[in-house]
Amino acid sequence: MTTAIIQSAGLGKHFGSATILDGLDWQIAPGQVVGLLGRNGAGKSTLLECLLGLREPDAGVVRIYGEDVGQLSDATRARIGYVPQKSDLFEWMTPRQMLGYFKAFYPRWNNAKVDNLLLRWGFDKLMQDKPISKLSGGEQQRLSIIRALAHDPELLVLDEPVSALDPVGRREFLRELIDGVIERGTTVVFSTHILSDLERVALDLAFLKDGKIALQGRLDDLLEGARRVVGPASLLDGKRLAGELRRQRAQDGTVSIVTHGGAGLALLGQEAGVRVEPLSLEDLFIEVTQ
Amino acid sequence: MTNHAAHLFAISTGSSEPIYRQLVDQVKRLVAAGQMAPGDGLPSVRDVAQALALNPMTVSKAYSLLEMEGVLARRRGMGMEVAARAGAAQGAQERAALLRPTLERAAMEARQLELDSDTVVSLFIQILKEQA
Repeated sequence: MTTAIIQSAGLGKHFGSATILDGLDWQIAPGQVVGLLGRNGAGKSTLLECLLGLREPDAGVVRIYGEDVGQLSDATRARIGYVPQKSDLFEWMTPRQMLGYFKAFYPRWNNAKVDNLLLRWGFDKLMQDKPISKLSGGEQQRLSIIRALAHDPELLVLDEPVSALDPVGRREFLRELIDGVIERGTTVVFSTHILSDLERVALDLAFLKDGKIALQGRLDDLLEGARRVVGPASLLDGKRLAGELRRQRAQDGTVSIVTHGGAGLALLGQEAGVRVEPLSLEDLFIEVTQ
Repeated sequence: MTNHAAHLFAISTGSSEPIYRQLVDQVKRLVAAGQMAPGDGLPSVRDVAQALALNPMTVSKAYSLLEMEGVLARRRGMGMEVAARAGAAQGAQERAALLRPTLERAAMEARQLELDSDTVVSLFIQILKEQA
């Protein structure tokens, strides 16, 4: 077992009386490509910020590459890339100035990659000298991604990286993520609501709910194991299924159970009046996070 | 090559079937139908990943599974090709296995509609005749 790149234990965060993170334990292994899912307001951004030491938790510890996140060395910092959900810093600078400014902080800076991405993502000379505040939301997001990729990070954390991009922009971003990032063995953690993008690139999923990681696993395993079992209460009430996530009882006495332990349900599906259905990622998202 | 890969496979997100499974089934179908013959090369993992915007691990998982099942073989040097005994040599039983997922779905719906086996089977026979 390789050492985890990010290790968090007992992470807690409150805003006023609201508990956002509640003793959260999570580990990210080297080379993982993990999608973080959760409903709006579940605390995904707070979690990512705490993991990177950008926000101080009320409880718990986070270690990145074995170092306490509150006291990261410059060398470790240089291994991390981060795309915040919304970056409203440096708005008075031009893209050219901002990239030049950041370049000074990093021992390694991939000029060729930056120039190539600027060119491919539509930053012509004119736009590179325009104040960032004058760029559109999508252009700012693209710039933020370029900045995060410029020093070839070994750990890339992205918070809703494509929320402002149109489908073409999203596809271009995915291709860059696949070709320029994942192929290099970079560890990637990203939050998104766009499940179709997630399915294309993430190998692992983690669902954030009630301040904890409610469910995590390989995307393929989760899809293959997720089932909804619907049948009469007389038959299902006494049965406890492996990997049960949710159990509901309708007015008419029909019981609906969602599980992620799909194997072994085939026999149950033979029973009269029982239906066993596979779930899509969207179904699973709704069932796990509701 | 990129275009080749893009035309060869189509995946759909939002399905209950994992993407690597979709790729496996598509290759099997192409081979069973003779659209790909033994010795035909497959686009590289990287090309498929780029063309379909997929994690390369997903594509190589599909290829490895197909290799294990004897549908694909690793080429000396690089890449994958359709295995010698795949395709035409594939027995009716193996081709029938490809139909199973579709029939399983149909069977599930038939049960939901509370149809008895005879009704369903005779309907299927009728449809087969219509298509012939």
